[in-house]
Amino acid sequence: MRTSIKIYVIMTMGLVLILSATSSFCAEELKFKYITSIYSDNQEGKLKQPEGVACSNDNFIVVADTGNGRLVRYTFKDSLAEPLAREIRTPQIKYPRRVEMNSKNEIFVLDGKLRRIVRLTADGKFNGFIGPQKASSPSAYAPISFQIDKDDNLYILDIFSEQVMVLGARGEHRKRITLPKEYGFIADLTVDDRGRVLLLDSVTARVYSSTANSTRFSAITEGLKAYMRFPADLTTDTQGRIYLVDRNGSKIIILARDGSVLGRLSAKGWKEGLLSYPSQICINDRGEIFIADTNNNRVQVFVEIESQ
Amino acid sequence: MLLRVAAVLFICMPVAFLIATPLHAAHQVKLKPGASGSECLRCHEAFQKTLKSPSVHPLLKSGKCTGCHDPHTSTHKNLLISDVTTLCNSCHKEMVPDKARSSHKIVVEGNCITCHDAHGSDNPFILIKTGNALCVECHQDIATQTNQAAFKHEPLQKGKGCLSCHNPHASARADYLLKNEVAVLCKECHKTDRSFFVGRHMNYKVTDSSCDSCHNPHGSNKSGILYNAIHAPVAEKNCNQCHPDPSAPNALEPKKKGVSLCLDCHKETITETFNKNRVHAPLTDNVGCLNCHHPHGTKEKKLLNDTQFKVCGTCHADTVALQQWSIKNPKNENLCEPVKTGNCTSCHSPHAANNVLLFQEENISVGLCGKCHEWETHSTHPIGEKAIDQRDKNLTVECLSCHVGCGTGNNPWMMPFATTYDLCTQCHVERKR
Repeated sequence: MRTSIKIYVIMTMGLVLILSATSSFCAEELKFKYITSIYSDNQEGKLKQPEGVACSNDNFIVVADTGNGRLVRYTFKDSLAEPLAREIRTPQIKYPRRVEMNSKNEIFVLDGKLRRIVRLTADGKFNGFIGPQKASSPSAYAPISFQIDKDDNLYILDIFSEQVMVLGARGEHRKRITLPKEYGFIADLTVDDRGRVLLLDSVTARVYSSTANSTRFSAITEGLKAYMRFPADLTTDTQGRIYLVDRNGSKIIILARDGSVLGRLSAKGWKEGLLSYPSQICINDRGEIFIADTNNNRVQVFVEIESQ
Repeated sequence: MLLRVAAVLFICMPVAFLIATPLHAAHQVKLKPGASGSECLRCHEAFQKTLKSPSVHPLLKSGKCTGCHDPHTSTHKNLLISDVTTLCNSCHKEMVPDKARSSHKIVVEGNCITCHDAHGSDNPFILIKTGNALCVECHQDIATQTNQAAFKHEPLQKGKGCLSCHNPHASARADYLLKNEVAVLCKECHKTDRSFFVGRHMNYKVTDSSCDSCHNPHGSNKSGILYNAIHAPVAEKNCNQCHPDPSAPNALEPKKKGVSLCLDCHKETITETFNKNRVHAPLTDNVGCLNCHHPHGTKEKKLLNDTQFKVCGTCHADTVALQQWSIKNPKNENLCEPVKTGNCTSCHSPHAANNVLLFQEENISVGLCGKCHEWETHSTHPIGEKAIDQRDKNLTVECLSCHVGCGTGNNPWMMPFATTYDLCTQCHVERKR
């Protein structure tokens, strides 16, 4: 009898040890380092409530300087952001709220006032509109966000027709993906390294995904309100991790590819490294993270420190 | 092995017995033969009178005082055998159905004695009052509205009153404790197939619609108990202004989607809205204005779907939670009035604005906070364009540099920090201890 109890106790303790060791090996340790902040253009003109930031893998950054109604370009090398000589102002852009670059460094801008996507050349010249060209008045097309994948396909989140419109690199229609049946408010979308389209519901803090060949979305997370207040933007890195920008909570929440919560980056504040009502986030292939720190009138740069 | 089985049975059997036995049954005491409740009544004489009431609790009637009370000692008030909020539920579990669509808060909280006398009363179901008088004790706002209404809803005034439409405990079928879905419930009295009814509804087939979309079931000052705040086309019976002809198959659908539906009449407001830098995102989707406003009528001003606080909280639950948390904070005696009252539109423009966070003014300190806090613009602390925030060279010192507009939970003075020391030393680092 006594021997069997001893064996039982030893086996139980062994199992507990195995489980705790496994969990510590599996847990992904995330650490980030603050690099720098971008405050102004090449004339020392201050950024004002920037809401958009795009980054390329060849060291270019474009900032949607929303409050000043312009775009400002920078090069980013060796942790230093150097503004390029000329700001971009065009009559087609009044209030830039989101910016993206394709593989040729062409610039795409979502204008908040005119509610349309503007295409610019790499050096900032107007090169047409994407999608219907209706402006200023209510219409049956309401692009609230967009994303460009590695093959330069364009994904437009149209909340009026409740769909994601997928256009080819030359603007040709590819497919439509219908938004999920029940949602609070879909605020943003992104495309990950495997071609999955991810949607973010700000009201429920839920992430939806649609695989490359699908025309439907399904939830990959439960509502994540316990972790964040009002997420409004998302992106992914080269490892498929999902970064949610908690606008009202002024922080970044990081999810694994499967939607499980991995950790957080930064917190509410005014000092460098802290955020105040952040908007767009961009991550390049080197893992450099650019965040439009809107209410702090700057763009902040972080980088992930390799896990020990 | 036998020993193990015996041990498991030894632990499980009493637990199973306790679960299966009702609370009062578990609390049997050994009274002397024939004593029962009569022993209690020797001292508690007042209950002799209660026993003669038309409505008496069965346990009291059968002399089982020990069903609820311990004759010797108890950790609960009135020598009750358990907390008053859980005691009734040990027998009356059926009051709230398993999948209730709605339930009365006081029932869920176990405050049964708000409506019922635990021992006996002159009213049926040992209620402390009868009819609407009982409901009015808490729902005074509805009573006032009902009494002042020029046009009253008959069932509310006669017969069962509130209970004509509502269940007192819970409803398995509808919200607001209603006995059934609105359309079904109303049809119990209103014959919707009669030509009079059809004519009054402009030949639209509304028999399965929610009547409370236009009518206030508690009465109103408008004929046909239409809501006091009623959309003009409804009041004027111009349903076809927004809906297709009544003979159309989709007659009850709106003619257009989104803000376009409202554009014909509200052109000025909508054009002004869409010319701003930032339009409140829900306005641009295919529901448009109806995300927040009701197309027919409501109890609220400006045809809002609910109180402003609740409408905003539909999406911004996080901010509303923060506001609620701030209200409950004892340190927040000086909570900003709009935050206290949930008046979001004091600072934010609900349709559109040229400023971030839909602020009504670009200049936060003077333009926005200064609307109410005029004296604060003369604060001795430097504020404004020339005062650079020490924490961020691109920021100037504004009211929101030290205060958070929507509340700050447990922090005093709507500050983002727990103490003024923590706040001030953000910039005045040389004063840090």
